[in-house]
Amino acid sequence: MSEFTDVENNTELQFKFCWVTALRAEATPLIDAFNMKIVENKSLFPIYANEEKGHALVISGIGSIKSAAAATFLKNHLKINDHSAWINFGIAGFFKGPIGDIYQANKVVSKESGAAFFPGLRLSKLIPAAILFTVSKPENGYKEKVLYDMEAAGFCEMAPSFSCNELTYVIKIVSDTPSASSSLITKHLVRELIEKQLSKISDILAEIEILVEEEKKRLSIPNEVIEFEKRFKFTETNKYKFREIYRKWKIAFPSKRLDLSEFLNSQPKEIILRLEKEVLLNAEDWNAL
Amino acid sequence: MIETIFFEEEIYEHPTTERIRRALPRAGWVPIDRYQELFNKRHQNFKLQKKNPALILAKKHDNFVLPVPSGFGMDSHKSFYFSHMYNCLYDCKYCFLQGMYSSANFVLFVNYEDFFTSISEKIDKYNGKTLTFFSGYDCDSLAFDKLSGFADEALNFFSDFPNTELELRTKSIAISSLLQRRALSNCIVAFSLSPAEIAKSLDSKAPSISRRISAIKQLAGAGWKIGLRFDPLIYTSDWKELYSALFADIMNGLDPERIHSISYGPLRFPKKMYKKAASLHTEHKLFAFPMEETNGVVSYGTKIETQMHDFLKSELNNYISENKIFQCTI
Repeated sequence: MSEFTDVENNTELQFKFCWVTALRAEATPLIDAFNMKIVENKSLFPIYANEEKGHALVISGIGSIKSAAAATFLKNHLKINDHSAWINFGIAGFFKGPIGDIYQANKVVSKESGAAFFPGLRLSKLIPAAILFTVSKPENGYKEKVLYDMEAAGFCEMAPSFSCNELTYVIKIVSDTPSASSSLITKHLVRELIEKQLSKISDILAEIEILVEEEKKRLSIPNEVIEFEKRFKFTETNKYKFREIYRKWKIAFPSKRLDLSEFLNSQPKEIILRLEKEVLLNAEDWNAL
Repeated sequence: MIETIFFEEEIYEHPTTERIRRALPRAGWVPIDRYQELFNKRHQNFKLQKKNPALILAKKHDNFVLPVPSGFGMDSHKSFYFSHMYNCLYDCKYCFLQGMYSSANFVLFVNYEDFFTSISEKIDKYNGKTLTFFSGYDCDSLAFDKLSGFADEALNFFSDFPNTELELRTKSIAISSLLQRRALSNCIVAFSLSPAEIAKSLDSKAPSISRRISAIKQLAGAGWKIGLRFDPLIYTSDWKELYSALFADIMNGLDPERIHSISYGPLRFPKKMYKKAASLHTEHKLFAFPMEETNGVVSYGTKIETQMHDFLKSELNNYISENKIFQCTI
């Protein structure tokens, strides 16, 4: 463990981007670019992170199942939020060159199960899209006009349930083609191909970050609500009612603060009733705009 | 602009697909087996997807034409609805589609001919009776028309059945395909309208009310029958003034004879849809009003609904005869 010593108990870590790569060679340029440090190196899946910059990364190893398992491990280990983006990143074979080109997969097909996935919002203005086949053995025939990898389908099976499909991305850099054999791939080449695309990757992240922030805002629970829920024992039903009426109350009275001291001797139901009453009174002079 | 088109391989050669291929030469085309594998996927985020929806071209296989639910509106004769498309270009905060579908992608069923065959069968079955077919229940009838070309084909079809009505319901001002042809006496072009201030806040990406009113007047001037749809009615403290002004704006210079019908309906959601819509627009005032829930339906409640009903009925009577005014209750 490194400086992330409080990871186990910290539920406030705010990672915007969660990377899942198969190989260390694919991870290293990202680890360096985003200044990530090792968080977990005792398990099967090494984790790196930089909370300040909002990046977390797990190295899955090769294969679809490992990719799904590593993503799940990262999600649980760092208690990743529901609004984070998940990116399966790495190298892939393609039916045409040049190597080094970067693509977003707009359809991922597991050649093993036949299952199809359609990850992410399309970032067409930044990056071309291609179909990707996830295969269980290295593909050297490049028979179809698609990208080939060995992980994305497993990743796509799992990652959308961590946030949503629109925050799940599969981004690949072409490493081998019919005229550039996969046998020529070296760690050095992988690093070189990825480093050349770091500027493009930054642009892509800026676009994804807008979506992450929007989801974060939508899903966030205001501190006032958290304070009240800590102070009072809401049943699950009342918790839902409280959050809902608080949402309406806050829209009606954006500059007001829900003051804990006004409710110290109240029951949860009384708090809800009081907010309902205030919202109802306000509705008499309602402006829908 | 549509950047990505998912298409069922079965309809790749269909003329409608071909038309769209010509219209969007730079879009990325991705083959799929059936539209549901994409459209019905779990964990989709409607709100984020709405930022850049894809077009899905599909073939509809059954349930082309369905009877309208009771309370839909014009109740004088047998009515049906059909949806050649799911979802809409616009992003209206109150739209039930955001609660109904998990995807914001547009599905266009390209086999229009099968819809028309099914409509023909209904006409044959109810031989001699006046039927109305509503388009635009799960989509906007005209908003996508430049690409889909649906209206033109539908009008060609309905021109052979003068006793059968077609209603095209829309917020769109894409009316060129209508203006380029002679008005069809059995077609009603029905516009959904709200006071301009309300539409500006709620009808995201839709044409402004002034542009919709202008389109209404152009169509009426060209001889088309017009429907006016005030649905949903939105409550504000000054709603009477806003709706009065809206009616005055619409009727100013519009021949009342060209109005086929007016319908209005209160803002209502099934409880589940309300919860989903509110969760998508957590900070919008539309979902901050203290709505009432009765029998699983979320609404403004009887008191406000009755006030709005009474006012609209009497206000609209100033412009048009009562037998052309209907209340939609679903």
